[in-house]
Amino acid sequence: MSLVAEAFVSQIAATEPWPENATLYQQLKGEQILLSDNAASLAVQAFLQMCNLPIKVVCRANAEYMSPSGKVPFIHVGNQVVSELGPIVQFVKAKGHSLSDGLDEVQKAEMKAYMELVNNMLLTAELYLQWCDEATVGEITHARYGSPYPWPLNHILAYQKQWEIKRKMKAIGWGNKTLDQVLEDVDQCCQALSQRLGTQPYFFNKQPTELDALVFGHLYTILTTQLTNDELSEKVKNYSNLLAFCRRIEQHYFEERGKGRLS
Amino acid sequence: IVCQPAKILNFLRRQKYNADYELTAKQGADTLAYVALLEEKLLPAALHTFWVESDNYFTVTKPWFASRIPFPLSLILPGRMSRGALNRILLTRGAPPLYQLQEVEAQIYRDAKECLNLLSYRLGTSQFFFGDTPCTLDAYVFGFLAPLYKVRFPKVQLQEHLKQLSNLCRFCDDILHSYFRLTLGGTPPAGPESVDANLRKLTQLVNKESNLIEKMDDKLRQSPQLPPRKLPTLRLTPAEEESNSFQRLSP
Repeated sequence: MSLVAEAFVSQIAATEPWPENATLYQQLKGEQILLSDNAASLAVQAFLQMCNLPIKVVCRANAEYMSPSGKVPFIHVGNQVVSELGPIVQFVKAKGHSLSDGLDEVQKAEMKAYMELVNNMLLTAELYLQWCDEATVGEITHARYGSPYPWPLNHILAYQKQWEIKRKMKAIGWGNKTLDQVLEDVDQCCQALSQRLGTQPYFFNKQPTELDALVFGHLYTILTTQLTNDELSEKVKNYSNLLAFCRRIEQHYFEERGKGRLS
Repeated sequence: IVCQPAKILNFLRRQKYNADYELTAKQGADTLAYVALLEEKLLPAALHTFWVESDNYFTVTKPWFASRIPFPLSLILPGRMSRGALNRILLTRGAPPLYQLQEVEAQIYRDAKECLNLLSYRLGTSQFFFGDTPCTLDAYVFGFLAPLYKVRFPKVQLQEHLKQLSNLCRFCDDILHSYFRLTLGGTPPAGPESVDANLRKLTQLVNKESNLIEKMDDKLRQSPQLPPRKLPTLRLTPAEEESNSFQRLSP
């Protein structure tokens, strides 16, 4: 958003409290949504749960096209629509709720750096696996991505998206990577997260922050999604403190609030 | 032949050169996180300043590179690098709702300034990022900051912002002074005074490592598919040549 538009949105956001009927839109859970989108959506849900803000999850086949930035998830609050975790965190902050106020400047810098690490490595690896690994693309991605649409639209949209993602991978230098190299990067990233977490309950000790929500979203989705092979989830399972971390957040923020287990 | 900083660092580590002996596991993890932050937030703006901003590109970057590449490649390669940089910026940051190039530019410079601020907070008053001895992260940050800090461009908004962050400027100046003003075969740079042979060897290895990273720093800003032999030589050279080359290039 341009600077003016952002300032305008913050002003408007600040004047109204969080409504009861806020909704989060994502793609269809059972048949359509992909690994990376599911991770992003779960991260936002976790973040809003951590802030104690009620949100209703609505699944729509065209969620990607409804979103202002083309990415899911997006939230519809009052008469505003905000997509992606970064802008949503800022929007929620404008309404007066924040998880990272207690951090000093150095810790905030660290938090931002780790969030970029997750986005840079984990999210890119997920996109690579979904769209550039032929086995996964053929068996899972194409079928799921185009499932709500009739032939030939389902094929066209899937190929178009694949071409777009491959272009982006090539531009950032991941185009020539093999699957093994990508899995090694994921392992490095998980190792870094595991070392940073250590034995603490959350990344910044007692209170969860948006970093915890983001890491939870990605790791939980990787652990619970069925893919053609289990190598990705095996990489995460090597780190027991990360597993305990996911379990803790799931229990505390999702089960205890009466939402039942996450599917 | 090894290209790209991450691969160079891995190569050096396998050859048993490592500047991270004394880092804890957490600091190693922090290094990885800050490198990701730099690549995501600072790199697009650095690419833009060098390769996309037309005043800078045509007056500084293009003649500079073209002067070191044999004809006729000097006509083709800089243009290709420039288009590659613009492509990368648009593909990674040009998603809707930023439809205009100016809006994308405004966003990436804003992110870059925020990133510089974060680095400044993290560095604080210490000499290097993890205490008193330099390590991989210092070399990486230096590789990004030094060209932005020192090269004289017509359009300098990022440089102006960097100059306001005095601890980052001091950091660059310290490293330039310690590791680049002396020739590689010279005495080890100023550090903890010690006759311990291992420590001297370590400082020499860090010297070599950051020198190599600087050399390949050009690579970081270009398309990763380009073969290394077409690259120009090291940009930051000993003091006398440095001031001469800058005087030659400033309008």
